[in-house]
Amino acid sequence: MDLFIQQLINGLTLGSVYILVGIGLTLVFGILHIPNFAHGALYMLGGYVTFMAMTSLGLHYVLGIIISMIAVALIAVLMERGVFHHLRNAPPIHDKIAAIGIMLFLEALVLVVWGAEYRNMNTPYSGTLNLGAVSISTQRIIIIAVSVIVVLILYWFLKKTMVGASIIAMAQNREGAYLVGINASKVAMMTFAISGALAALAASLSTPINLLFPAMGHLVIMKAFIIVIIGGMGSIPGAIFGGYLLGITESLGATYISSDYKDLIAFVLLVIIMTWKPRGLFAKEVH
Amino acid sequence: MNLKKGLFYSLLLLLMLALTACGDSDEASSDGSGDSKDDGEVIEVPIGYTGPLSGPAAYYGENTTSGLKMAIDEINEAGGFEVDGKQYKFKYIQLDDQYLPNEAANNAKRLVQEENAKIIFNPHSGGIYAMQVFNEQDGFLIGAYTSEPGIIEDGNSLTWRIPPGYDGYIEPFTEYQMERFGKKIAFLPTATQYGKDWAALLKPVWEEHGGEIVFETEIDFNKDTDVQPIVTNALKHDPDVLFIGGPSEPTALVVKAARELGFEGGFIIMDQAKLDEMAAVLGDNMELLEGSAGTLPLIYSDFPGTPAFVEKYNELYDKNPGSEAGFHYFAVYALVEAMKIAGSVDDIEAIRAALDEAVRSVPEDKQVYVIDGVDESGANVFQVRMAVVEDGEVVEITADE
Repeated sequence: MDLFIQQLINGLTLGSVYILVGIGLTLVFGILHIPNFAHGALYMLGGYVTFMAMTSLGLHYVLGIIISMIAVALIAVLMERGVFHHLRNAPPIHDKIAAIGIMLFLEALVLVVWGAEYRNMNTPYSGTLNLGAVSISTQRIIIIAVSVIVVLILYWFLKKTMVGASIIAMAQNREGAYLVGINASKVAMMTFAISGALAALAASLSTPINLLFPAMGHLVIMKAFIIVIIGGMGSIPGAIFGGYLLGITESLGATYISSDYKDLIAFVLLVIIMTWKPRGLFAKEVH
Repeated sequence: MNLKKGLFYSLLLLLMLALTACGDSDEASSDGSGDSKDDGEVIEVPIGYTGPLSGPAAYYGENTTSGLKMAIDEINEAGGFEVDGKQYKFKYIQLDDQYLPNEAANNAKRLVQEENAKIIFNPHSGGIYAMQVFNEQDGFLIGAYTSEPGIIEDGNSLTWRIPPGYDGYIEPFTEYQMERFGKKIAFLPTATQYGKDWAALLKPVWEEHGGEIVFETEIDFNKDTDVQPIVTNALKHDPDVLFIGGPSEPTALVVKAARELGFEGGFIIMDQAKLDEMAAVLGDNMELLEGSAGTLPLIYSDFPGTPAFVEKYNELYDKNPGSEAGFHYFAVYALVEAMKIAGSVDDIEAIRAALDEAVRSVPEDKQVYVIDGVDESGANVFQVRMAVVEDGEVVEITADE
């Protein structure tokens, strides 16, 4: 039982990070129909900005995260303005190529500026909680809690505010949204900003239990794409469900089925879900 | 409707890209070649390198090239070296292979054809195996930076293995850990060929000594986002010792996870990971590494040239050198000696034959390591030196041959 709880918490931690990354990915896709491969690079940048704010400027971890979220949101908006906006009438393959280009560019940039070495982010919250035989590091609790809070705030924002409603409207029906006078450019920028900020938050939260290095984005972006496909491209509840599902499968699957096949378990799950519901579990009509 | 399909293709494209990402983003530098025109007498000798300069292993690649560059720059700045009455300088060319064997082989071909390189360094066993297919035919010496025993077992006549083989560590590590902690071990090596080979050698030795392997898996540092679930499973089997390894920094995370989960036993650490680099990730807390058995970090070594090298390296790169840098630095100086003894800079068989004497003739102040010779198979001959952490201190243990 202790083992089960321990692994459940590990799975929830992993899932929480996947969710934060996945929501950003699914939002951008749902609204702009761009599979943003550069999302992993934004994630990586988020980790670096937080780290640099903490080490070079000597700021507190929380302040570092806020700065990082703002900075990466701005970079994401720049990406939209500078690249994707100009490609809005181009064939979809152009967006994909551009996204891959941005990903390679950002990675190479970080490699040149900050070097290839692994870095370790030390936070003020490095303790461990011992509950009977189960031990959980404080950072893991923070990851799980913050992601739940952020998801709730995001949900409230999308459902209850005007700006949020316009994002949803765009996702549901592009032409309809234009007709009622929604500013498409503004919504696009907003979406990219949110997605960038979420990626930065995810990286800043998970780096203390991991390491900071230029290729760190690859690890999560692949998983994020899987959860977004499982949940249905463009669906936020889908990303949340997919995130927890994958995180828990990875940890509990490794425990009770086989640790050698834990990746296989995730992919078999993907195949089964795709066969049963080809659009993903929570897919809505995307035209 | 087509969007879904498009997305799957996109994911496929992403997968392909992840595998080949910036595969041709090689950078070439030719340090010290700028002033060669001024001096008509100085002839350039190309030294090739192929290794991971981008991707997840980029840091490792950077460490290996730093030692090579440092030695080559030093030699060139001092005016080069004299062989058979002629003055020579090195020309250094490095190419990126992303840690991929096939790319390493391509790069080697390029270095031979475009630069006429007779010596090519490579820091991973996969690349070395790939190059061994044609290196005798194409006439170049592989400066092999890997502890993999297999690369010198096939009788390749132009392979020079620079670091000690890991086969020498297995007995002493096993004996130390069994005596100090107990007979139950869990295997958590890195999921690379190197990790599998290490595990395959350790397993029979551990069992011969009456030990028991209670858990066996591997950790893929390129895929596992979090090591804690894996470590949790290993600890459930109540091991006395964990066998871990891979690059220093991610390996340190395994130690951290194990300690957080209450593990109090020892670690057998594969030679790729270095105790000092791991401690840096753990907040310079050697106590977390208590009971670890691993290779002796360079900064704790006491060879004649080590202190000067560590100091100069710190000046240049603002950090402590690892053995990757130290061995490559030494190797360049050994090559110079070999060329002098062979009386040629391009008769590669003669240079290879001269290496045995050359590694002993390296000037004392450049002896970052002391090497007793190069054996028939092309391996540097060492005394096995291992390190253990006792009471929070790194202690050197010299094992008998």
